[in-house]
Amino acid sequence: MNSEDLKALRTPLAVLVTIIALAGGAVYYTDKLAKAAVTDLTRQKGVLQTAQSRMRQSGDEKDTIVKYVEAYRELEKSGFAGEEQRINWLDALRNANTRAELFGVSYQIGVQHPYPNAGEFDAGSITLQESIMELDMRLMHEGDLLRFLDELRAQKVGLFDVKECTLIRTERSETLRNAPYLNAQCDLVWITARAGAAAPGAKR
Amino acid sequence: MAAKLLVYISASGAVASRAGGRRISDVQRFANDESGIEAFRQYAAANSSTPAFLLVDAIEEDYRFETLPHASGSDRDQMVERKLRQHYRGSTFSSSQLMGRDSTKRRDDRFLFCALTNPDLITPWLDALTATKHPVGGVFLLPLVMPQLVSALAPKTANLLTVGSLATGIRLSFFREGSFRLSRLSRADTAITGLPRAVFDEISNTRLYLHALRAATLDEPVTVLLLDHANALEPAARLILAESPALTCRRIDSKELSDKLNISQELIESTPESIYLQLLAGTVPASNLAAPAITAGYRRLRTRQQLYSASAAVAIIGICWAGYNLTHQFSLEAEKEDVIRSTSRVNAEYEAATLQFPSAPTTAENLKRTTELAEKLRASAKTPATFYAVLSRALTPDPDITPLEITWQYSASEIAGTDRGTQSTAGQPPTAPPPAPIPGVGARKQSGLIAGELRNFKGDYRNAINRINQLAERLRADPAVDQVKVTQLPLNVSPGLALTGSTSETPGSGGSTEFRLVVVLKSTP
Repeated sequence: MNSEDLKALRTPLAVLVTIIALAGGAVYYTDKLAKAAVTDLTRQKGVLQTAQSRMRQSGDEKDTIVKYVEAYRELEKSGFAGEEQRINWLDALRNANTRAELFGVSYQIGVQHPYPNAGEFDAGSITLQESIMELDMRLMHEGDLLRFLDELRAQKVGLFDVKECTLIRTERSETLRNAPYLNAQCDLVWITARAGAAAPGAKR
Repeated sequence: MAAKLLVYISASGAVASRAGGRRISDVQRFANDESGIEAFRQYAAANSSTPAFLLVDAIEEDYRFETLPHASGSDRDQMVERKLRQHYRGSTFSSSQLMGRDSTKRRDDRFLFCALTNPDLITPWLDALTATKHPVGGVFLLPLVMPQLVSALAPKTANLLTVGSLATGIRLSFFREGSFRLSRLSRADTAITGLPRAVFDEISNTRLYLHALRAATLDEPVTVLLLDHANALEPAARLILAESPALTCRRIDSKELSDKLNISQELIESTPESIYLQLLAGTVPASNLAAPAITAGYRRLRTRQQLYSASAAVAIIGICWAGYNLTHQFSLEAEKEDVIRSTSRVNAEYEAATLQFPSAPTTAENLKRTTELAEKLRASAKTPATFYAVLSRALTPDPDITPLEITWQYSASEIAGTDRGTQSTAGQPPTAPPPAPIPGVGARKQSGLIAGELRNFKGDYRNAINRINQLAERLRADPAVDQVKVTQLPLNVSPGLALTGSTSETPGSGGSTEFRLVVVLKSTP
């Protein structure tokens, strides 16, 4: 092919390349539109199925609400469901200290973060959060610690788990005196639950 | 079919026509002189850039049949090129055509080599076409378009000799089984003998020539086809039948030619060359005499046309494909709108149904899950009570063993054999979240570290170690205990470590020594 041929074929070649590009672009673009439409339709069908399923189960849902609403309100009041009630915790600490006849409890509460053991409980759309409360107290006997924990739980100001406890004997003398000779350091995990986003149309 | 300019060239001049599709039109005759060529140039200029095809009817023509060893590709091309150079050295207008395979055992290739030996005949006409920018599609010898005529007028004739009288002379062409074998143009002087006798004589001469070339024997039956475009060969037909009974003669008059070839009778009678131009309009023969340099413009034109055709095809395919995609998309969108409407209707029905529900702070699902979660968390909660009870039972038999520090934990990892002060989280504010355990991999369990002392051991390390091991055994025996590890004894007697001490430091009575144990309880649901 010589230069004269190239000159003569320049225009038709340019036309061909342009048309290939335009046709390819049009096919690519419309194919993308069609695929996006398929995806949208599939998603929308999923939404419809969910809505239909919820509609079919609306009778069961009513029964569920009747069955669990009171228990949930109690949990909300206690501070497990919803936001943390730290003031309630501190009140409960004071009360438990008094009832267990301890010598005072020092505390330090950390920042709230996701509960790491949530996977054990199939939480679903419920988000579990924890705040670790470090306690430091003096005891006459190790049984005092257990009594204190029972008293704290009896305050019903939320739901906590004992993560770690260390008892240290501060007095090595064999002679028993009427004074605290044990020091207890405990980590309590206060757990709160936050409901996830409700499905569209869900009754609140 | 694209428009063409068709030119019949002979020594007496040229006949040109235009062709659109398979029909010719605007047939004009031009004399072989300056005025004729100028008139032709003006004729051609009216339709410049349409491809031109030339048909040459000249006495200066040559045909050779040769068999060559069967080959293909470039080998065949080189062999044919060599033969053309050998036969027609220096000739601008020569060509070859593969006619088929030989029937012999070697099955050689049969080729027709042909040439126009007097290029000057067509040069002025070609120059006129070049000046008017007509790309030349090809130059062909007249007999090579005649197989179409034969198949139209006398198909399935074994040996056929066509005879036609044109301005240039009497053209006789021989065909065997419809395939071209020989053609000659005779300039017989019909003024002396008359046309019928001249035709008869030329037929006889041609048969002798065929015999000499071993193309056909004299006793072979031959059908003579008289192309009587001027309706003047009836006497010749009668003469042939009368004097050569071995020949079969058939005369095709202008009416029959007109019917068979679909050309007007008047045109055939006034311009008999139009018969061959019409044949050329129908099919372009394979044997193109023009050199590649002459047909370069036509090849470019063809390539341009092919590129435009390809562009059109791509555009059509693209439009159809994109159109299909758009139609598909619109149909999916319409279906989606239906689904959205259905979803809205179902949601409205659900909303209506929920009006009957008791008031609740969150969804039924959240109520249920939250309540169940609280139950599970309560059930899984542990305190050190069990651990202390197990330890208390194990310590009771030996009152000299006193725990100094008891660390208990409930986690996925067992407690390390260190006290609280040496653990990784020691001293740090409880701000950083602990790493999340992998679900199902590390179930939480209770474990504890007991750091204690053995009082009144009186320097008897053997006895002290035995008593501490007995404590470990008592712990292991408890059904709640999974494992017990003694991490520190009063004396490390491992041969891998140095051991130092003094007997003078041994207390006579009392004294204490320390130990450490790690206890892991069995997992309970």
